[in-house]
Amino acid sequence: MRSLKRLHHVLIGAALLALAVAPARAADPGLTDNEITIGLFGPLSGPLIGYGLDPLNAAKMLYEEANRQGGIQGRKIKLVVEDDKCTPNDLVAVVKKLTTVDKVFLLHGGSCTAAVAAAQDFVNREKIPMVMLNAAGDNAVFPPTPYVFGSFQATQRVYGSALASFAAQQLKAKRAAIIVHDDDYGNANLKTAKAVLERAGVQVVAEERIPPNISDITAPMLKVRAAKPDVILSGAYPAPAVLIAQKYAEYGMTDIPLLQATQGIPSPSTFAKNVGNPDALKNFYHTWSFTDIGDAAIHDKYIKLYKSYYPDREPTAFFVTGLPSAFMVIAALEKAGKELTRESFVKALEQTRVKPDVMAGELAFGPNRRDALRDVIVVRFDGVKQTVMPGVYTWNGTDGM
Amino acid sequence: MSSLLLMQAVASGIVTGCVYALVALSLVIIYKSTDVVNFAGGELVMLGAYVGLLALTFFTLPYVTMIGLSVVIVFAVGALFERVALNTITGRRYAAHADLVPLVVATVGLGYLLKGIVRVVPYTEEVRRLPPLIAGPPLFFGDVILQRQDLAIVAVTIVVMLALTLFFTFTRAGKALRATSQNPRAAALIGIPVRRMRMAAWGLSSAIAALAGILLAPKLLMTPDMGTVVMLAFAAAIIGGFTSLPGCVIGGIVLGVVQNLVGVLLSPQAIAVTPFFVIMVVLLLRPQGLLGEALAPKKV
Amino acid sequence: MYGPLARRSLILVAAILAAGFVLPLCVPVYFLYLANVLMMYAVLAIGLDLLLGWSGQFAFAHIAFFGIGIYGTALFDLRLGLPFVIGMPLAAALAGLIGWIIAIPSTRLRTVYLALATYAFAECAQWAFRTFDRITGGPDGLRIRPANVLGYATGTDPAALPVVAAILCLMLLATLYLMRSRLGRHFAAIRDSEHVAAACGIAVKRTKIAGFVLSAIYAGVAGGMYTLYESFVNPDVLGVAQLVLVLTMVVVGGPGSILGVLLGVVLIGLLPEVLRAAPRGLLVWQEFFYGAILVLAVMFMPRGLWGVIEERLRARPTASRRAPSSTSSASLRSEATQP
Repeated sequence: MRSLKRLHHVLIGAALLALAVAPARAADPGLTDNEITIGLFGPLSGPLIGYGLDPLNAAKMLYEEANRQGGIQGRKIKLVVEDDKCTPNDLVAVVKKLTTVDKVFLLHGGSCTAAVAAAQDFVNREKIPMVMLNAAGDNAVFPPTPYVFGSFQATQRVYGSALASFAAQQLKAKRAAIIVHDDDYGNANLKTAKAVLERAGVQVVAEERIPPNISDITAPMLKVRAAKPDVILSGAYPAPAVLIAQKYAEYGMTDIPLLQATQGIPSPSTFAKNVGNPDALKNFYHTWSFTDIGDAAIHDKYIKLYKSYYPDREPTAFFVTGLPSAFMVIAALEKAGKELTRESFVKALEQTRVKPDVMAGELAFGPNRRDALRDVIVVRFDGVKQTVMPGVYTWNGTDGM
Repeated sequence: MSSLLLMQAVASGIVTGCVYALVALSLVIIYKSTDVVNFAGGELVMLGAYVGLLALTFFTLPYVTMIGLSVVIVFAVGALFERVALNTITGRRYAAHADLVPLVVATVGLGYLLKGIVRVVPYTEEVRRLPPLIAGPPLFFGDVILQRQDLAIVAVTIVVMLALTLFFTFTRAGKALRATSQNPRAAALIGIPVRRMRMAAWGLSSAIAALAGILLAPKLLMTPDMGTVVMLAFAAAIIGGFTSLPGCVIGGIVLGVVQNLVGVLLSPQAIAVTPFFVIMVVLLLRPQGLLGEALAPKKV
Repeated sequence: MYGPLARRSLILVAAILAAGFVLPLCVPVYFLYLANVLMMYAVLAIGLDLLLGWSGQFAFAHIAFFGIGIYGTALFDLRLGLPFVIGMPLAAALAGLIGWIIAIPSTRLRTVYLALATYAFAECAQWAFRTFDRITGGPDGLRIRPANVLGYATGTDPAALPVVAAILCLMLLATLYLMRSRLGRHFAAIRDSEHVAAACGIAVKRTKIAGFVLSAIYAGVAGGMYTLYESFVNPDVLGVAQLVLVLTMVVVGGPGSILGVLLGVVLIGLLPEVLRAAPRGLLVWQEFFYGAILVLAVMFMPRGLWGVIEERLRARPTASRRAPSSTSSASLRSEATQP
């Protein structure tokens, strides 16, 4: 009897021991059977709040819509929201906090490329997927790394290529002047534009790299004027973009088409008001990644949705830039299915292709591709009316590399 | 390089230089009266511009009223800051001559504070533009193009500079302000109300900053960060001599023209560093600038 | 303060070193990252305090030397293959050398002109880092290779913390020694009154220059520490905002005393992280908050928070015996007289 009891104890002891040392079913952090935790971040304070607040709200809105419709494969999305101020130091701190303290399943955020690039090594080391919010992302997606996905409103390479292609093909320009900032965005934009222009046989007659916080645009514009271009390409930020348009009108150059990349006009109506001179915009074009500008129904649909979630806030036109990344995350989560892991999510991202109604081009990744959008449209803007120009301008993946 | 290009560069440089000079004037007033360098000078300019913008946009005041309102408000802010913050620092018993550093640090804090408050208002998230005082098509002087607002800036700068010079040289209040800065104890001894004088100096300086903001905002475009123009104003004041009011204007013009020439002849990238380079060179070789008084030992 | 090293100073140093080894074992990476950052700021802030609080010189070039430290260490590794133990001291020495070159003309200048000239130098340096992109990577930034310290690979926060802590402890010991040396006493002397110091036979100009050089070396070392746990650097980290942050740490914590500066580093360094938990509507008030703190601190706490604490401790009847020449007049001082 006693030996049986002893055997009984030994067996129970062994079973307990086995349970204790057997590895727990290793589920990824931030994931339960009915919840996915996403770390959402962007500039919610500081000088670049205009690039982040509305887009982040837009992304949040899409997640909450998904929850309202029952979640994704039975799981609801839980958000942890942080402010990264668009600076490298803060973004790295936020990413590390979300990953190691809040233990989110995936990271979704970042409106500034340099800040995102600072966190890249950590994200790849931790093997946690990071999907950028609306950063152009050039330095963080070229060369591609396994866990960092981005460029949902197109890289600077795409803008540079689009403006250059439009100038060469549609405007039949022969002499181009390029104005960019002397920062990472400007470098990427310039290199790509020059590659495309050269191939098309267009001569670059002036190349001006200006400081991002320039307040007096006289000198560069004088040089551009002296070079007698028949098209001007600009990658300037909002304030200098206005100055360029104003000065070019002041110097009587408005017969020359002026082409501006998206980052200079987060809000076309404000841009027009700031320029304050309809004559300056009689030959003005800009890139855009979304269809809302040409399709009033789509525009109204999303504005209404935004207002329903944030009734006290009047969004800038830039809010749409927060949509594509959220669409992509939701689509990939759906595709990864019930057996969701970080690895299966990454795989799903690589295989998912979506073209939401608000996008002008398709969002896609690939085994060696981490920039989502390579097509943009060009819009003519006279200060009041937006007219979408025919054609979609696609970056070929090699120019500017 | 065509002479037309150079002439335009010089003409625009003079205008931009007057922009810097106007802000520099406000800095020099404080320095002449209290020996403090006001690192919040740019933010006071920014505040003036935004008060004006909000008055125009949300209260639809007439332009001239808006100017008056902005000047008065910013005057009050400056005077209040002096009275509350700086006065507390100088009033400390045991630190008679040790105040300068905390005072300057306080102005750095003021700059952040003002910027922070303006940024809280959602309207300031986007780049805005203040309508100019004098609108209209640009004017042509030969082949050189200038905006009407540019001429207003130059005119106002010169008028303000003359008015201030006369004020400091010939009026009692002006002389009292200078006395306060040179030797506060002696000034108090002969009955000058030192605290009130300092408040007045700060108020006056802030008022000019607000005026500068309203004139410059149409040219510079408004963001809460537009206060960085203060470094250019510092450069202007240093070139001209930190104690000389006409020096501000000359320094500003020199700086504006040099910047444009550098931008046209070298590259616009070098424009960003020109004022700082100039500051270093001038302080190295001739710290008192073109017209400033030779630096003398401070009497304790 | 003078005399043999107080026991509690050594205990502090030992505690920091121990934390550097123990924390990586039990604390999430986020907190280790914060610890790395704070320790780096501690070296940076103490270096600034050497100039500002100790010698009473109002110099703003600090951030430029920080940049030389970061880029120097990283580039010596990337381009010349120099390991960290050689590259970092070399970068710090380079910072010291440039500090020396800047100091010679600058020490002629009065307080506010010194502030402006050194501020201008810092801006020129940032511009240089941004423009000479063939060397520094320019605005695109520079990817830092994980450093190899005598065979031990850093590069992640847990791996870097022991090394970062060790370097901080070395610098603390150096500072404590400096405070007790003749040079340290000369610093205090010229801060209180240059004329009197000169009358006592102190070579004022040479002391000021020494202050500049040492302060630059500290900044260079802090830059080297940065490369241990960060993987990326770009010139934005060398801007005015950073300088004002370090200045705030020194001013709020307690200029002129190591403990004060450390206190300031912890408070101001952790403030943004603490504010993350604040309700979102308040986030946008942060800048205002910082400005207000700076103004209020300078108004009501001339010797920083540590000064207030010290006063409270001293007011107690059974206050511990203090060394005779403690920092009773360690408020920020300007150069009262020319030249």
